[in-house]
Amino acid sequence: MTDNEKPISKGGTMILPSSLLFLCLSLIPLGMLIFFSFIDGNINMSGEIRGFTIENLTRMFSSFTFTKLMFKSVGIGILVTVICIVISYPTAWGIAKVVKSKYKNLLMMLIIVPFFTSQLLLIYAIMVIFQAKGVIMTLLGSLNLADSSTSILYSNLAVIIVLVYEYLPYMILSLYTSIEGIDDNLISASQSLGAGRWNTFKNIVFPMSIPGLLSGILLVLVPVTGSFVEPTLVGGPNGMMVGSLINSQFTVVLNMGYGAALSFVFLIILSIIMAVIKKSINSANKSIGGME
Amino acid sequence: MKNTKFNLFIKIWLLCTYAIIFIPILVIIIMSFNKTPFGMLPFKFTLEWYQLLFEGSNLFAATILSLKLSGAVAITSMIIGTLTAVGAQYVPKKVSNLLMSVAQLPIIIPWLVQAIALLLIFNLTGLGRSYIGMYFGNLIVVLPYCIMMVIARFNEADRTPEDAARMLGATYPLVFKDVIFPMLLPGIITGGLMSFMVSFNAFAMQYFLAPFGVRTLPMEIFTMIRVGYKPDMNALASIIMIITIAFVLLLNKLGYSASRLMKSK
Repeated sequence: MTDNEKPISKGGTMILPSSLLFLCLSLIPLGMLIFFSFIDGNINMSGEIRGFTIENLTRMFSSFTFTKLMFKSVGIGILVTVICIVISYPTAWGIAKVVKSKYKNLLMMLIIVPFFTSQLLLIYAIMVIFQAKGVIMTLLGSLNLADSSTSILYSNLAVIIVLVYEYLPYMILSLYTSIEGIDDNLISASQSLGAGRWNTFKNIVFPMSIPGLLSGILLVLVPVTGSFVEPTLVGGPNGMMVGSLINSQFTVVLNMGYGAALSFVFLIILSIIMAVIKKSINSANKSIGGME
Repeated sequence: MKNTKFNLFIKIWLLCTYAIIFIPILVIIIMSFNKTPFGMLPFKFTLEWYQLLFEGSNLFAATILSLKLSGAVAITSMIIGTLTAVGAQYVPKKVSNLLMSVAQLPIIIPWLVQAIALLLIFNLTGLGRSYIGMYFGNLIVVLPYCIMMVIARFNEADRTPEDAARMLGATYPLVFKDVIFPMLLPGIITGGLMSFMVSFNAFAMQYFLAPFGVRTLPMEIFTMIRVGYKPDMNALASIIMIITIAFVLLLNKLGYSASRLMKSK
């Protein structure tokens, strides 16, 4: 673009309001978490700070609770992501390559209905069907598989079920976008040259779906690891995750300094995970570009 | 065809996925007409929960608050989002790329962390939990969607009318009003609708930033689930879900595909 194509040189100033908002409401607050990690106890509403301490950080690294919950949360994150991938791959394939093309858009729109629905309502819906004497338990009870007056709610299993239900659409959509872009001719060429279904999948389909797979992992793994609503509502006494520990510092125990320290370390760990995934996305995109 | 068996398997798999996604939603809708209050079996038809909902339940006040909040947030987000998308055309590529990657932060980082960081800053500056804080918290998580929707219009649309208008001597304000704005309008509207939906459901931001004692609809639902829910919630949940599904089908009719809507994520 040459200079005389730019109608007004001051046009760029139009990005100022949003730049300012992102700076003041996202970058600075997140950066300030380091500072808040050293605060002793709470900051009250008028902004008074009682004092500074390094006890928050020492306490965090000396206590087992945080480390244990951190590992557990990343573990649940990975498990939920894997379950989502297993369910999503054939689904995304089906929508992209099997169903008639005039239904594709509608089917994909239905997949993202949960994205537009309140997270709380999705959790509530799962709770209603899994509750004691609810639909699922009555069904299992009539098959003599479980006692219909009990329920799997309020356990780690319930947390995992709810999280899979909530995040499935993100994985399906990411995979769909990638698989949809695979040229059908490549697949039929591979098959007519004698490659079996497995070899075609291994050498053509899977490598070309890696960017979508990775962006799906990013969209599922990071938020799932940081979830706090699901463990609070359906986790029961043993269902805590690192998010619920952070949440309780702000709403129950009221020790904001400690909460900030927890959030800060958590944010660092998530950033490392995100950086690794993003780097893999870039190199995957490059290698596909090289293949074509 | 040799793939028939495999395709049948895929179709059954598809059916099961849709069942997983929609059965819980369907059950809620059916249970909202069930006489036993907690959605338990057996089923007996009644409309009393809808009656209860419309005759002074506290869910209604919370719904109104959520509608007002999301409306205000969506309008601001449409204005600032459009400004940003237009402005991004006139800055060096490096600057706009930087802005875009910063803009993605609020949607990738868990909202728990984003909300807590904001709460701490608001407390430090003496603002504390407040309506204005909640408004800004919601704004920052919906703005990225709106920016990306409008920028997508810039990337898809045919830019020749704009060049033609300018070559024929139209001043920039006139080009903006007659050419650029109409071109961007679908993106602005979709961006606004998405902002509205996302803000309406941004529980974490509202939970940490709302003034004490004030509850938005997601917060009200959260409390109800925790303390034992009331049956009129099934009725409200059904209404919201039907509106959501209708909204998604409407977007589909308008020609929006899921990939286009969610590319911003």
